[in-house]
Amino acid sequence: MEITTATRDGATILSIAGRIDTATAPALEQAINKEIENGNRMILLNFSAVTYISSGGLRVLLATAKKLKNPGDKYALCSLAAEVHKILKLAGFTSIFSIYPSEGEALAGW
Amino acid sequence: MPGGNNSPVSQVWQPVPGAPGAQHYPLIRKIDTISSNSYLIQTGDVILLIDPGGLSEQSAQLAQVIEECREAQDRPVFVFLTHAHLDHFQGAQNTPAFAHAEAAVFAVQEAGAAALERGDAKMTQAALLGQTISPVRVGLPLLTDDRAGSCGVPVSMAFSNGATVTITRQQTGGGLAGEKIGFGNGPALDVYHTPGHSPDSICLLVGGLLFIGDVLFAANPGIAGICGWDQAALIRSLDGIKSLLDRGGIDFVLPGHGRAIAAADAGRMIAAIRSDALALENIAELNQERAIETAAFAEECMEQVNELFTIMAGRLYYVSYVMEELGEEDVAEEVSRLIKGDVIDELLEAFRSFAEEHHKGGRVSIHLALKAGQVIAKLERSFDGAELAHIIDPALARRAARLLSDYTTMLRGFCPPRELVECDLVRHLEALVTGLSVPACSDDDLLSSDDDDSTFTRLLLTRIGMQPLLADIAFTFSAAEKQLKVAVDHDDLTDLVTYILEDLVGTGADAITLQVQRDDKDAIITLTGTGCTASDAMKTSRGFLARLCDRAGGALSCSTDERKREYTIRIDRII
Repeated sequence: MEITTATRDGATILSIAGRIDTATAPALEQAINKEIENGNRMILLNFSAVTYISSGGLRVLLATAKKLKNPGDKYALCSLAAEVHKILKLAGFTSIFSIYPSEGEALAGW
Repeated sequence: MPGGNNSPVSQVWQPVPGAPGAQHYPLIRKIDTISSNSYLIQTGDVILLIDPGGLSEQSAQLAQVIEECREAQDRPVFVFLTHAHLDHFQGAQNTPAFAHAEAAVFAVQEAGAAALERGDAKMTQAALLGQTISPVRVGLPLLTDDRAGSCGVPVSMAFSNGATVTITRQQTGGGLAGEKIGFGNGPALDVYHTPGHSPDSICLLVGGLLFIGDVLFAANPGIAGICGWDQAALIRSLDGIKSLLDRGGIDFVLPGHGRAIAAADAGRMIAAIRSDALALENIAELNQERAIETAAFAEECMEQVNELFTIMAGRLYYVSYVMEELGEEDVAEEVSRLIKGDVIDELLEAFRSFAEEHHKGGRVSIHLALKAGQVIAKLERSFDGAELAHIIDPALARRAARLLSDYTTMLRGFCPPRELVECDLVRHLEALVTGLSVPACSDDDLLSSDDDDSTFTRLLLTRIGMQPLLADIAFTFSAAEKQLKVAVDHDDLTDLVTYILEDLVGTGADAITLQVQRDDKDAIITLTGTGCTASDAMKTSRGFLARLCDRAGGALSCSTDERKREYTIRIDRII
């Protein structure tokens, strides 16, 4: 799994590529936590190159939602592959955070 | 590798209990399908190697230990096989110390000896593993027909390795045919014919050690049904071995794979295996063709299992999250512990890595099928569907449990049962989609339970966890006729339609239609989703759905165009 971080329109965008599984979920959590600790509280996860997410990955997404619930905080996912979207939708996660078709649509929504 | 109190220790010479002057050197491996354990025994007269194993390096290591023994005192060497399966002997074929008849004499039960001499790929399981085998010379065929008529009469035989042995045919109390083999003044070796796992399976007894080969695994999925497997013979052999154990004098049972087992524990295991074996009537032969089919099903099945378990775990995390938001931290903690997400993730990841290596290395299907069997057995132990049923949709846990069970059934050599029964498609599907559209716990249920905290919490969990699949979708059900009776497998059809609806909802459909109609020949169910995201990766799951549809009694096709996906199920058994 690879994570690239960028800033756009005041938001921190973490673009993740590869599988989010038992081995890689802790690295994703660390990367997100680092941004939050640096005061970046508008986090967009770009999942366009995520091919798989395990329950360990789902836990990281929820843990982030718990950290970003102050007024003014923003947290969303975008560009999900069909199979990853299916997991999040059926697990009920789409009612916790927003999922957008693209980066542009996510940032326009903020 | 210590195995308990006084238990034999791997790769160390130690006394054989009950056989003064004899020592043994077990080489106990982690269980796999590639190579067996090996056991060396030395007395003042002879060195015996039981099962050289399937790996050249293992046989070479044993040859080195034998060489050291012979340097201390030169003695003839015999190689006994508990049975002539590749994982028990192939390593010796590439090891010069064993490859020449003068260096070591092979001793194998008569049927196995014949299979080895003719290089029989089926009996040795080489064919199942996609390998070839060179013929092996067997100097000492055991339990031969020609000695069967002279029970109790010692026969003396001389061998190319300089040994002279005395063989006496005997019948045990448990009904097993046996031979006592004397190598001089030291302890004798008793050999018992225990067919079932294979026609040539034998057990070997020296002092208080019983070398049992693979009989303990003979009723396992992926092993039962291999060429030469015989249910009736296996049950007779298990009874005979149980009698030997009950007779006393045996301290440890040393299996072909895995650690040494105390005799009392082995007795209990034999009883359990007998009960498993009794249930294995009419299983299909496990040949290469079935191994390929089972491995293909394994991959499809594991993909679905992976998805279902991730969704179930995610659902529980979601419920836990909401409960925490509501200030119910204790309940949240309890809910998150209901499924061992980490354990499940690791198991599924282990299978994925194995499958990846398997495809890269062009390995044989049976290994993948067996690996899936191991993972599935562990998954079955790691979740309790009944416990989850009041929090997440019981259909999820039920489908996961059925997938696991179907795979084990197939690996065992049975076809998962297909029960085609009369079903009114219109009524059945209408009831199914209604169930998927309304909350499992209504507002009234929730409001009427507010006096009782525990009931309220339970209903609240249900309300949060079981969100109806079709709740936020523009869903239309239509049927051309009021009633359409067909013969289908009710449960499989229910699962199939649920999987398809989940696929459409999960991939972003904003509207779904389900139509039931008929033409001249078939009843036709059409499920159409608009607004879905397409994905190549989901093509694999269509193979799984097609197989499930076949089991349900129908035929499935799927078409996709720009943001629209349509599944068609045709059922030709109209009543």
